[in-house]
Order: sequence, then structure tokens, then C-alpha cells
Amino acid sequence: MWDKKNRWSLVIFAVIVLLLVGSIVFFWMKANNEVRSIMEDQYQNQQLILTQYISSSLEELLNERVLLLEVTAKNEQGIPDDNFVSDFETIYRAAEIYYVLEFIDANGTVISGYPSANVPYGYNLYENDNEWAFEHVRKSGEVHISEPAMTMEGIFGSFVWVPVFENGTFRGTIFGIVSDENIIRQFDTASNSSNTVYLLNSKGEVIYDQSGMYGKGTSYFDHISGDEPERLDMVRAQINGMEGNGKYPDTVSNGHGQDILVSYSPVTWYNKNWSLGILSPGNEVDKIIVSVYVKLFTVTGLSVLFILFLSSQVYFILLNWNRSLEQEVEKKTHELQRSNESLVSANLKLQELDRLKTEFLSMVSHELKTPLTAMKTSSEFLLEEKCDYDTRKQLLALINRNVDRQARMVDDLLDVSRIESNRMRFEMESVDLHEVLDHSLENIRRLSEDKDIEIRADIAESLAHVRADRDKLVQVFVNLLNNAIKFTPGGGEITVSAQEVSQDEEVSQDVEISVRDNGIGIDAENLERVFDKFYQIDSTSTRKAGGCGLGLSITKGLVEGMGGSIRVESEPGKGSTFIFTLAKDRL
Amino acid sequence: MDAEKIDPRILALMDENPGISTAEIASSLALDEDLVRQRIDFLADTREKLLIVDEEIDALTALKVALEAEGYNVIVARDGFEGIEKARTENPDAILLDIMMPGMDGFEVCKRLKSDPSSEHIPVIMLTAKGETDDKVEGLDIGADDYVTKPFNLMELKARIRTVLRRSNI
Repeated sequence: MWDKKNRWSLVIFAVIVLLLVGSIVFFWMKANNEVRSIMEDQYQNQQLILTQYISSSLEELLNERVLLLEVTAKNEQGIPDDNFVSDFETIYRAAEIYYVLEFIDANGTVISGYPSANVPYGYNLYENDNEWAFEHVRKSGEVHISEPAMTMEGIFGSFVWVPVFENGTFRGTIFGIVSDENIIRQFDTASNSSNTVYLLNSKGEVIYDQSGMYGKGTSYFDHISGDEPERLDMVRAQINGMEGNGKYPDTVSNGHGQDILVSYSPVTWYNKNWSLGILSPGNEVDKIIVSVYVKLFTVTGLSVLFILFLSSQVYFILLNWNRSLEQEVEKKTHELQRSNESLVSANLKLQELDRLKTEFLSMVSHELKTPLTAMKTSSEFLLEEKCDYDTRKQLLALINRNVDRQARMVDDLLDVSRIESNRMRFEMESVDLHEVLDHSLENIRRLSEDKDIEIRADIAESLAHVRADRDKLVQVFVNLLNNAIKFTPGGGEITVSAQEVSQDEEVSQDVEISVRDNGIGIDAENLERVFDKFYQIDSTSTRKAGGCGLGLSITKGLVEGMGGSIRVESEPGKGSTFIFTLAKDRL
Repeated sequence: MDAEKIDPRILALMDENPGISTAEIASSLALDEDLVRQRIDFLADTREKLLIVDEEIDALTALKVALEAEGYNVIVARDGFEGIEKARTENPDAILLDIMMPGMDGFEVCKRLKSDPSSEHIPVIMLTAKGETDDKVEGLDIGADDYVTKPFNLMELKARIRTVLRRSNI
């Protein structure tokens, strides 16, 4: 589901890729051709060096071996008694290239030789019309080497003629047959398998061909077809005793149009000018190039793999690093959010607290000023002395009542202040619950009777004594009962009960005292906050119940000050139960 | 039948026949004689009428006694709703209104009184324990005619009552 834009980018991408691939292939092929031609040159130069080496070795070998015969022929003691047989034996063994060595006397007759099995004793050159070379040597006094040919012994070889003079007198010749087999044996290891060696004489005839394609003695020109000018040129150069490199297309073997690379170098052996050639198929170069490429690609491949491996490692490390960084950022963001949230909620709490404080102050102001107003109005009116006796009495009672109310308010505020600053003193003693409750009930009797609320006490005798501050406990009861009466409709019922609770049977035992009413109850939302200072469920100026919201806060402070705890359970519409604990007195 | 409807008819009958007795009025209007007498007493009362609206019974009592001695006809209401109701039925000459009250506070009562054509003309003096300026401004902004802070000086309150009454009489 690609849109147009994506399709276009894909096309552009494909074109770019094709261009890149094409140019890479082009440059690669160009480079390959250059490399190939360089390699070919190098190879041919190497091959030429090899050819020169082989030809010079061959030249040296042949000349040395003939030199041995010359030295023997120029023996100052003249012809030895055994007609050179012992010398022949030594040379034969040392030279290793001779098929036979013979001594032919001035008459052209073979008179001695070694090894004797190969010697045609008594054979006369003149009688067999083979005297041309013999005559030539006698006349020139020079060593003569004949063209290699099939001998009457059935071997292919060259004849070496060395004249023997004694005091200027021709005494005969030393004659040797150099077999090509023996020469070749000397160079068995000279060339490797893919190269082949051949040897041409100055007429272009094949003296030796390692490949066996061309017969010995055949003319090399006969093996060249008309349309091989390079090859023809090359053979001419060889005949002319030059050295160099050449190549011609391979038409014989299945070279698939490959060039055959040839290097040639002259071999000069006395009167013989031969040419040694080494040829090798052109795919040798390719093999080398391929092997170079294989090595190159292996190294490149390994390097690429190594780089890929390294980069993938680096990538993964970076990825992990990045990921851990992201996680860290996420964590920090989360922490920031959390701290932000807690700050916001703290701020809200502070605002709420501030609001409560303002409301508390306004409440306190109202609570303090209301009785004052009543007193002041009454007393000012009394001062005006306009009223009769009854009114005066009524107003004085009113003043008295409001003084008490004011005093209670001041007491409450002082209590809150003491609890807040931990300055409330508790005189702990063993207190009789029954006695304290009776005292408390006496305090609020008028209130309960006014609203016709029955207060029932349900405390077992065994629970009589608790550890508490007597006056504070009375205050707790009065506050809780007052609270209960305030929120219970007329005719309702309040129950005070107590039972033991043991958190740990051995260590401590608490008494749980509950004050239950069947009044309006408290909803769950406000349940937790009824003990907060300044808190009134209905804290607006329209609240139905009086008081300034300190009663329960003071009660909680008092209970906790006596080592207990207080909690409330409630169900709206059914009533509330305030439960506080005190330590049971063990005595 | 409403007092408001009865009163004009009683007055009409008395205009026609100045010597008419309460029994005669009652029979002609088909009403209880006690009610007629009460209305006539009410109509005959020429004292200026003050309505005090306050939750606190003691403050209310003290003020009522003091103001009655001053010659005012004082009626009381213990909360905002009652205050509005009495302002309409009793048609007082001035209202002393406390702010902190159960149900409906003084500000709301004042607002309602001043937005009702039948009671907007009645001057309102706010009485409150709150001493803050904001509250004072709020009290006057919603149309209160004066403002007295508790605990107040009785002489001062009386003077302020006289002032608002004089102002409304012009």
C-alpha cells in the first residue's frame, strides 16, 4: 500500500543502485584487464628468466662435456697406449650424457671406445661413406658437432667430433654420441608441469619437444598454419638466435581462445645455434590472478566480516546504551512526575490547610465574639437603667451564661494549644471507669435531658480500672458524649460500653471503650478527617451544629496523650461509634 | 387568606364606616374575629418595626430587649429562611442581619432581599463577628445599607438604626 511518493522514491533508489552496481562492475572489469595484462607481462618476464636460465645451464652443460673431450684430445703425452679407453671411461661416468665415446684413427677406423658394448670396433668411415665430418674436422682442426639425427644404433643424438693432433700431425678424432635422452635427464626438474620445453635448431627443426606433439627432426614451420603470423615471427626470431617473449592464440588444445605464452632464448654449442623455448597456456596467468583474487577476496571477506562483527557489536552496545539511557530518562521522568504530583498534592493540602485555618480563625472569632456581643449588649442596656426587675434578672442570667460559654471556648483553645506543643500534662493514675463515667454523665445530664436522649452504660465490673488522667478522661467522655448528643436527634440513644482486647496475651492488655449513637452518622469521605484540628464536616458559616471543630481534635490528643488510640466507625443515617483504647490497670 | 389581602379590605371597611367594630368586620369578611383583631392591632401599631435575624438566641434576646425599650416594634427570626419570610409578611422598617447562620448565611439572605422587589427597599444592617475588611466590602457590595461589627456598642447601633430609618423615610 505505497503511496505515489514512496513509489517514486523506490524507483529513484533502484536507478541509483543500478548505476552504482554498473559503474562498480565497469571499473572492476577495467581494473581486471589492466591487472591481467600486468600479470601477463610479469609472468612472461619470469618465464623468460627461467628460459634464459635453462638455456644457459644447457649451454654450459654441453660445452663443459665437450671441453672434457678437447682436454683429453690435447694430451701432451700423445695418444696413450690404451687409445684413450681409460680416459673415456672416466669422462663417460663423469659427463653422464654420452651414449658412447670412441677413438677413430687417422684412417677413419674405430679402434677403441667405451663402453665397449656400444663400440663398433673396426668400423671404417670411408668404407661406409660417412667421412664428411671426419674430413671437416681434420681440415679445420676445430671441434664439430653434427645435427642431431637418428644413429645407426637407433638412438636420437648429436655426434661430437674432436680432432686429435700430435706435434701438428693429425692422428684421428675422438668421437662421442650425445643422446638427447641423457641431456633431458639432467633437466628433469627444471620446469613445472604446466610449462613445456622445446628445442629448435638453426633450421627450425624440432630437436626436442617435451609435450610430444611435434616429432623429433620435423620442421617447426610445418606445424604452423598460415594464419599464425605471431607464431611465425617468433620462430624466425628463434632461428636468428634472439631471445624474447611471444604469444599466439591456442588453436590446438582446448584452450578456448586462450593465448599460449612463449619465452625463448638461444643455446650456442660450438658450431650449433639452437633455441630453447618454454611455452605455457595463458590460463596460467588467470590461475595466478584467480589465486590472487581468491586471497584478496578472502582477506576482504574476512575484513568485511570482522568489520561487520565489530560494527554490530558497537551498534548493539550503542543500542543498549541508548536503551538504558531511554530507560533512565523514563525513570527520571517518572520520578519527576511523581514528585510533581506529590508537590501538587502537598500544595493542595497546604491550600486546604490554609483554608481551614482561615475558617478556623473566622470560627474562633465568631465563637468568641458572639457571647461577648450578648454580654455587651445586655450590660450596656442594664447601664441605661431603663429596665424593670425581671428584665434585669433575665439579662444578668444571660451574661452569666455567656461568660461560661466564653470560658469553655478559651479552655478549648488552650487545650488545643497545649496538645499542639506537647505541653499538656497528664497525671496518670489508676482510674475507676465507672466513677469517671458517672461524673461525666452528671456533666452532660442537662443536655441529654433537654433532647430526651437516653445514655446507657455497659461496662463490666472486671474492667473497672484503667491507667489514665482522671480529669482528662472525664473531658474525653464529655466531649464524645457532647458530640453524640449534638448529632443525635431527640429521643435517640447513646451507649457507652467497654471490653478487653488483647494484642499480646502476655505483654499488654487494652480496654476498648466505645461511645455509640444512633444519630446522623458520618459519610466515608469525612470519616478520616473528623479528628483533624479545625475540621468540621460542615465548616461553612451555615453549619447546623455549633462549636468550632476542636472537640474531637482535643479528644484525640487527650487519648493519645494517655497512651491510647481513637478511631471512628460510622454509617451515614445509622449512627457513629467512637472507639478509644486505654491501658488496663493491672493492680 | 393572606394577611396582605386581608389588610387592605379591613382598611377599606374602616374607611367606609369609621365606627365599625371588629365583630362586624369579621362577619363581613367571613373571618375569625381574633385574626381580624390581631390585624387591626398590627395595623394600629405605629411604632417602627425592626426585624432581627440571628442564630444566637442570647444575642437575639439581649438586642430585642434593648431595642424594644427604645420604642421599636421588634420581631425576630432564628435563621435566613425565616428572616426572608418575615421580611415579606411583616414588612419591617429595617432589618438587622447576622452573617453566620445555619441554613443560609447573611450574605445570601441580603442578596435575596435586595433582589426581591417586595423587600428591596428595606434597609439592612449587617451584624457580624467577622472583622475583616473583605467581609465588610462583601456586605456592602451585595446591597447592605450598613455594617456593624460584633461586639457593638449599643448606643452606636441605635444611632445607625436611626440613620437608616431616617434615610429610608425621605
